[in-house]
Amino acid sequence: MNDDEYLLAALRIAAGADPVPARVASEAHAVYGLRLPGAVTASLVAPSPDTAIGARPLPGVRSNGSTAGTEPRLLRFAAEGLTIDVEITVCDSHLDLAGQVHPAPGKGARVEIRTPHVAKIRFPSESGEFATTGLPHGWLSIVCHRVGDPPVATRWQCIRR
Amino acid sequence: MPYDLDLLDETAWRDLVARHGYRMWAVARAFGLDAADAADAVQAAWLRLLESMHTIRDPERVGAWLVTTTRHEAARIGRRRTGDRLTDLPAEIPAPDGDPTAAMLTEEDGRRLWAAVDRLPHPCRMLLRLIVTVPEASYAQLSRRLDMPIGSIGPTRGRCLKRLRSLMEDER
Repeated sequence: MNDDEYLLAALRIAAGADPVPARVASEAHAVYGLRLPGAVTASLVAPSPDTAIGARPLPGVRSNGSTAGTEPRLLRFAAEGLTIDVEITVCDSHLDLAGQVHPAPGKGARVEIRTPHVAKIRFPSESGEFATTGLPHGWLSIVCHRVGDPPVATRWQCIRR
Repeated sequence: MPYDLDLLDETAWRDLVARHGYRMWAVARAFGLDAADAADAVQAAWLRLLESMHTIRDPERVGAWLVTTTRHEAARIGRRRTGDRLTDLPAEIPAPDGDPTAAMLTEEDGRRLWAAVDRLPHPCRMLLRLIVTVPEASYAQLSRRLDMPIGSIGPTRGRCLKRLRSLMEDER
């Protein structure tokens, strides 16, 4: 973006030729409801070769590192002492998601898969695995609630086709 | 004054949206993103604010921070559209200092902007109006409409925007 393009965009908006869609403001308002006081943020880190859930070999990764259209996307999030691996399959109408918390978070832990409008709760397996299906395309965050420790929330990711 | 954004109440949040949403949209659109992608860039900035609230101490800087973050996210989405896979990696949290686009853009600023356009001499006034309100107009169409050689449309556009910018700076 250069200054000229910004100035033109500002002129367009001010002229009413490019009004800010109402949805943009209402979604910004809704973000307030997603606060998670006290949560630790897990940042996205570069996926490593062992990122695949259950240590399966990386499926569908081409030699240039990009993933084929229908193959899952692998994301690894790390916070101090906790890693969350997520494998997302992008389908036409929805997302399917499988993941694993390392180390396994122990008894009583819950994994919350959040979108701006829906949250799903999963109880991870003994090895920390969890899965869900039918998520909408768009923004996504995974929160691991543990007993006696602050929740760990991944940074929000926008997953689209 | 120290200020804890963790204590932001919903009214204060809605106030942030009202004050800065307009400018964030302009920044995202200035990257040439379509409406859906621009909406993602703006939403990204609000979500990043949620994640970073505890690191922001100066409420006066939140607007600049939101604008800078929107710009980073818009650039990232733009690069992803052109097939750069590395952009899935996280952006650094940007520092708001020294950001040339950090000044606020409100509806009042928009009115001042158009008042400044009206003070520009011919052909700037007409050229900018046409470029903004008829974005699909080709240089050939602009050339016929303004009775100018087609080759001078681009340079004139640049000159007019420069004049507009200096008019706005004089007002500060």
